[in-house]
Amino acid sequence: MDKDNEDLTKVISITLRTAVVVSMFFIVSGVVLMMIKGGGDGYTIAQISSYNTTAPTTLRSNLVPLSNIPSGIMNLDGIYFISLGLWVLIFTPVIVLISAVIDFVVSKNYLYVLLSAIVLTNLTVAIFYIGPYLHLAS
Amino acid sequence: MTEVMTLLKFIEIVAGGIIAGIIGSVTGLGGGSVLVPILTLFYGVPIIFATGASLISTIATSAGSAGTYTKKKIANVKIGVGLEVATTLGAIVGSLTVTVVYKYSLEWVLYLLFGIVILTSIVPTINRGKYEGTKVVKPDFTSRIFQLQGKYYDQNQKKSVEYIGIRWWLGEIIMFFAGMLSGLLGIGSGALKVLGMDWAMNLPMKVTTTTSNFMIGITAATSSSIYWYNGFIQFYLAAATAIGVLIGAIIGSKILLKISNKDVRWVFFAILSYLGVEMALEGLRKGTFISLSGLDRFYIAIVISAILIVSLYVIFRIGERNGQRQ
Repeated sequence: MDKDNEDLTKVISITLRTAVVVSMFFIVSGVVLMMIKGGGDGYTIAQISSYNTTAPTTLRSNLVPLSNIPSGIMNLDGIYFISLGLWVLIFTPVIVLISAVIDFVVSKNYLYVLLSAIVLTNLTVAIFYIGPYLHLAS
Repeated sequence: MTEVMTLLKFIEIVAGGIIAGIIGSVTGLGGGSVLVPILTLFYGVPIIFATGASLISTIATSAGSAGTYTKKKIANVKIGVGLEVATTLGAIVGSLTVTVVYKYSLEWVLYLLFGIVILTSIVPTINRGKYEGTKVVKPDFTSRIFQLQGKYYDQNQKKSVEYIGIRWWLGEIIMFFAGMLSGLLGIGSGALKVLGMDWAMNLPMKVTTTTSNFMIGITAATSSSIYWYNGFIQFYLAAATAIGVLIGAIIGSKILLKISNKDVRWVFFAILSYLGVEMALEGLRKGTFISLSGLDRFYIAIVISAILIVSLYVIFRIGERNGQRQ
């Protein structure tokens, strides 16, 4: 049992570190691109750095469609680099959970296969259903 | 000129993030509990964007330091995943509640709640250092079913520590509320998670803190997506704080593994209690229950938190002396 835990922690440790490095690469290059170009996604740097919650010109997350990320990256748009970096971070725990599920399956620990499957369901429901649904409703 | 100003503003936020990351990582509360007060009180960021940025940096903190901890094999992944059943459900409930709060402009509730959460986090955090070893308890039926045992190597004591967890069900109940607070306030709810594992499940402090750090990321990811679609995440802020808090968390986790908790705790409690009182006062002011200028708020918070920390320190020392005499 301890052997399993050691292998699992090793995998998780590597996954987390890789994901953080990848995410930080995109976030930092996004910030650099944004500063060099003086903005991104059609917004000026002033609008991007604004904290005004009521102004429609303030750039906030609901104004950036995830489907535009690939083309935004191709255009070297800083905002989309940051977006991708942030989503890599949001997805990191999902990858960790999946590696935990696989490990529990391999060690035939069915109770924990079930528990981690429930957690994974909660996470995916929040990411793929509740969020987009709220977005459509508003 | 504006570019230079924006760059400076960015670096300023990164610096705030580093401080929050260190304190959050060392105390096990997570960067968010310190980041949100810093952003709202000192940088003038609306709480809606502060909590959104905090959630993102909380994932970075968790991933950054959990990488270090799991490598040292202290965190218990199995117990962590089992408890995530409740925290992720709580996070969904919490982040859905928050959309209602903003819809009706009830932000003052969040400030007040934030202050209360920080202040009530302090006592469990103080007690945490008391039990460096493990209390010997009789395993209950959940210890066997949910396989709540493990061991780790303690660097300070230079020996392997074995432990057994109990009362899994009580841990789950507390974790639901930890998840809900996480979704409401954009924090990792480290204190409640620690309370659930240390007090309810009787796990050793080091296991509790590191497992909590590992769990925080999963909880925060659940809320983050809901925050994203609601437009609560402001890129400039989230990018700066993610970088800052991550750097802080890495520094903090290195400090944590080297020091015994006792040495530095009181400095952090003093900072935390000050931030807690400030947030609570700001909540009351925004809710128009009291009228205060920023400077008044500062002085009142300093005085109240000083009294609080000094009395806690005295109570703790007396308790410790009585404990030694027995």
